[in-house]
Amino acid sequence: MNIFWLIMMLSSILVLLITNPSAVLSEMLAASEDALELCIQLCAVYCVWLGIIELIEISGLGEKLAKLLRPLIKKIFKVDDIETQKLIAMNVSANMLGLGNAATPLGIKAMQALDDKSGKANFAMIMLIVVNATSIQLLPTTVIGLRASAGSTNPTDIILPTLIVTFCTTIIGITLVHIINKIIKRKKKA
Amino acid sequence: MSVYILPIIFVLLFIYCIYKRVNTYDYFVKGAKGAIKLVIDIFPFIASILIAVALLRVSGITDFLVNLLAPIFRFFGIPPELCELVLLRPFTGSGSYGILENIFVTYGADSYISRCACVILGCSETIFYVATVYISQTKVKRLLYAIPVALFASFIGTILACLICKIM
Repeated sequence: MNIFWLIMMLSSILVLLITNPSAVLSEMLAASEDALELCIQLCAVYCVWLGIIELIEISGLGEKLAKLLRPLIKKIFKVDDIETQKLIAMNVSANMLGLGNAATPLGIKAMQALDDKSGKANFAMIMLIVVNATSIQLLPTTVIGLRASAGSTNPTDIILPTLIVTFCTTIIGITLVHIINKIIKRKKKA
Repeated sequence: MSVYILPIIFVLLFIYCIYKRVNTYDYFVKGAKGAIKLVIDIFPFIASILIAVALLRVSGITDFLVNLLAPIFRFFGIPPELCELVLLRPFTGSGSYGILENIFVTYGADSYISRCACVILGCSETIFYVATVYISQTKVKRLLYAIPVALFASFIGTILACLICKIM
C-alpha cells in the first residue's frame, strides 16, 4: 500500500507541476473535505448497524448463526477444532452481513488458530482468505446505507443481484482452491 | 419485493429480543456508540486515498488509464465509467466507498452505473489489505495462490454484476 500510494501521489503531482501547479494544494484540501463529509455519512450508517449488530449478538442470534454454519465450515475448510470453527463461522457471518470492519478482528483470530508455525500458508488459511474475498453477501449494509443517503428511491434493489453474484464468486473461489490443492498434492506424490 | 427484506428482518429481531428479555434500547445505544470510534479510526485512511485519487484525476492520469483499459473492460461488458472503482477496489475499502459516493453524485444513485458499482463493491473485497492484516499475527509470509484465486473470482464477479444489473 505504501509504494502504491507513493506512486499515485508522486506521478500526479509531477504531471500537475507542469500542467496546473496551483491545483495541487486546493485539490488535496477539497478531497480531504470530501472524506470528512463521507465519514459523517458513514458514522450515521455505522450507528444504525452497530446498534443492530449488538442486538443480534446479545440476543444470542449470532451464536445460533454460527452453529448453523458450523457443518458447512467443517466441510469447506476441513477444520476439526470446534473453537476454530466458531471463529471462522463468526467471521463468515459478519462478512455475509457486509460488515467488513466487524469481520476483521475475527479473521485475525481465526488465522492465528489455523497457523501451524511452519511459515507456509496451509489449505484452511488460503481458503479463509478466498472466502473472505468473495464472501456471499446477504445484506450489503454499508452500500445500502450510502445509497439511501445519496437519495436513491429504492436503495435495497441491489440485494438480490448482489446475492446472486456473490453466490457465484464464492463457488468459483472455493472450487478453484480445492482444485489447485489437489493438483499440488498430486505433484508432490509424483 | 426486496423493499420488505430489511423491515421484516428488523421486526423478527426485535420480537426475538423481547422473547429473550433483552433491553433493546440499552444495547442498541451501546452498539451505536462504537460508530464514532470506528469512523475516527478510518477517517485518515479515507482522506489519504481520496487525496491521491483526486490528484490522479486532476492530473489526467486517471483519464489516460481509463482510456487505455476501456477497450479491455468493454470487451468483458464492463462500462468504462467503472474502471476506477474496479482498479482501486483491491487496495482500499474505504477509498472505494469514496469512489462510490462520486459515482452516485455523477450518475445518480438509481442509474445503471451506480447499481453496477454497488454490486461490484458487494462481490469484491480489499484483497491486499485483508491478506496483509489477516496474516500479520501469524508466522506465514506468503499466501501462495490465495490472492490470484481471489482476484480472478472477483473479476468474474464484476463481469457478472454488470450483466445481472442489466436484466434486474
